Order: sequence, then C-alpha cells, then structure tokens
Amino acid sequence: MQTITLENVTKRYRSVTILNQLNIEIRENVITGVVGRNGVGKTTLMKMIAGFIKESDGELRVFGEKPFNSISVSANMIFIDDMMDFPDAMTLEDLLVEFDRFYVNWDGELAVRLLEYFGLPLTLNHRLLSKGKRSTFNAVVGIAARCPLTMFDEPITGMDAAARRDFYRALLKDYIAHPRTILLSSHHMEEMEDLLEDILLIDGRGIEFHGSITELQEKFLSLQGKEDVLKQYATRYAVVHKSSVGPLTEWIVDNEHTESELAKLKQVGIRIAAVSASEAYLAMTGQTRGGVDDVFNAMERK
Amino acid sequence: MDGEKPIYIQIAEWLETEIIDGTLKADDKVYSQYQLAELFNINPATAGKGLTILLDAELIYKKRGLGTFVSADARDKLLRKRKDGTLRRLVQELLTEASLLGLEDEQLIELIQAERKERL
Repeated sequence: MQTITLENVTKRYRSVTILNQLNIEIRENVITGVVGRNGVGKTTLMKMIAGFIKESDGELRVFGEKPFNSISVSANMIFIDDMMDFPDAMTLEDLLVEFDRFYVNWDGELAVRLLEYFGLPLTLNHRLLSKGKRSTFNAVVGIAARCPLTMFDEPITGMDAAARRDFYRALLKDYIAHPRTILLSSHHMEEMEDLLEDILLIDGRGIEFHGSITELQEKFLSLQGKEDVLKQYATRYAVVHKSSVGPLTEWIVDNEHTESELAKLKQVGIRIAAVSASEAYLAMTGQTRGGVDDVFNAMERK
Repeated sequence: MDGEKPIYIQIAEWLETEIIDGTLKADDKVYSQYQLAELFNINPATAGKGLTILLDAELIYKKRGLGTFVSADARDKLLRKRKDGTLRRLVQELLTEASLLGLEDEQLIELIQAERKERL
C-alpha cells in the first residue's frame, strides 16, 4: 500500500519552478532517505507532503487525501526540522503534555526516558536550548509521536557524533517495534544509509533515482589501479567518476561486468571493490573528492 | 570482490560462518530479520535480503509461523561452496601475486609447507 503518491506534481514560486512534474510513490512502513544537493527542493517536497504548502500542479495524495488544509493528514503526520518554534513561556515538560494531547500514539514514557538519557532537563525552555540540544529534543519528539507518517528534515543539525549515532539507533529500534512510514533527509548519507530501505535522490531535473539502497549500491563498482592500466582495460562500461589519490587512480564505473571480465581486470592488477550507497550517491551527483581541484587546475593553466 | 561488501551480503556471510563453525546447527532456529536488524543496526528489509540469500541457496528453510531453521545439509553445502569458490579465488589471487614476483610453483609449495610447519 502507498502512503504517499505524487502524479506530475509541480511546485512553482512565482515564475521559478522548484519541482517539476514529479511522479513518486512511497510505500507504507518504509524508511526512505531523501537526498540531493542544496537547493534541489527536498524541503519543499517534504513540506508539500506535510500539507504546509500547496502544490502548484498535479495530484498529491497522503493517506489518500490532499494534504493541504487536511486535519486528518495533520493528525497522522509529524514534520521535524530546526525551525520548530514554541511559545516562550513553555518548558519542555509543558510541551510534552501538549504533544500527548495531539498525537494519539504518543509515548510519553519513551520521550521522558530519551530526554533524560540525552541530558535534557524537563524544566528547560525550548528557546534556551543550544542548537544541538534543540535538534535532539525535536528528534525525540519525532520518535515518540509514533505518527504513521514521520518526516525528519535535516534532524541532526548541530548534534555531536554520539547524539547522531544514538538518534539513528533509537529511531531504528522504535521503528522495528512500531513500523511506520519515515522520510529522512540529511547531507550525511554515510551516517544514515544502513538505516534506510529506500533512497529518493532529487536533482535539478527531477527524480534521479528512487529504489532500494542495495539497488543504488549495486549500480556501480570501484576500480583502482594505475591510470594507464585502467585506460587500457577498463573502458568497456561508462565511467561515472574519476579521482586520484596519490599514485592510485579510482574509477567508479557502471556495474555491468560479467564474472570473466572482472577476473580479467583482477589479473592485470586492478583492485575491484563495491561502493557504499553514499559513494554511489556522491558519484551520481558529482560530489566526489577531487572535483573542486578542477577549479584550481583551471586557474593555474591561465 | 575486495573491500567493503554490501551489508546484506556481509550478513549472509556472517550467518554462513555461524553454520560452518557450528554455532548454528542443523534445525536450529535462525535469527529473524528484526533480530538481525537490531544486532547489526540496519534496516530490517536489508537484513531480510541477507536471509533471502540463504533461503534461495536452501541453506535454511521456513516453518510457517515459527521462523527459519538451518537445513540438515547446510554445513556440507557450505564447506563445498567455500572450497570451490572462496578457496579457488584465493588461489587465483595467490597466482597473480606470484607471477608478479616471478615465483615458480615449486617455490609456492615450499612457502605453503613452511607455513604449515609454523602452525604445528
């Protein structure tokens, strides 16, 4: 069953098109990572799904309803980002009481225990929290609300490494016990990739990839060796990215090789390795190491 | 393949090793995909893909409503597979390195025998 469907959904702000003719289906109870470079419209997409902003064109359905101005979508959904704002006078404890009133699946005991674990006293005021602590509080709310649709937009902003690891672990454990549809965006894909089932990769043109994390990973292979050897033997399939670290050159190539082709590459001394999903993502979006070197190389040539 | 393998393949290989070394015996219950997800801190769907590899190879079998269990001949199958597959691949790599260094087969055998003695 689908929790979210988009058919030819477009979002424009005045004359600027942010998202163009998107077709997406998000299955129920799947954790999807929403990734893409800055400014491609990840937040716009998630806010549209949340019903905070209205699509300009196309059909958008969440739980079978148009989310904009829908109270039932609102009650079954939570959207966590670092812009969450609460009245000054309210302590964290006051906020927990309100969440309990609004979210039917709210687990107050889990929230209190997690906040205690993360060192967040309930007597504090939300506005006085440091950036990292505020992100942690918001993330705990996102977990404890147990909404059928849970969205986190860059939830780890400001969190230290231990808090990030603990957040992903807590989310996974609670998801296993209480499955729900989760959308998670982050620029640190390597930290969240094991948690994900699916990846939704957006770029300036639209949806670049939507599928399972293993599918993304298995699209590519890493070949490492001397550049002239790679040039001689490894040009059969498309090279997505080239980089060199010291004397060694690495090519990320389409994973179309047969077993015997791979064996041949090995025989001439090329090292073959699988790529992680985040490496595949970086290669697809041109964010791999060494890319910025080109800028400096071009200036030196002048 | 060298280097980092996809996590579901690592899970499958870990389960295979548990069967080979006897931690999991014939007809023992195998971890569920949710237990594996907790254990390895990964998405349950990914853990499920690891189990599917063993199911497809008939190394484990499903009992309706009870879970998955180790097949009676799983260990024998795996020993054969590792001999024909993994060991053969290691030998190929050994030969690649040996030819790079210009070593003859006799010299390789001497090396293996010397290593054996060290382990006794």
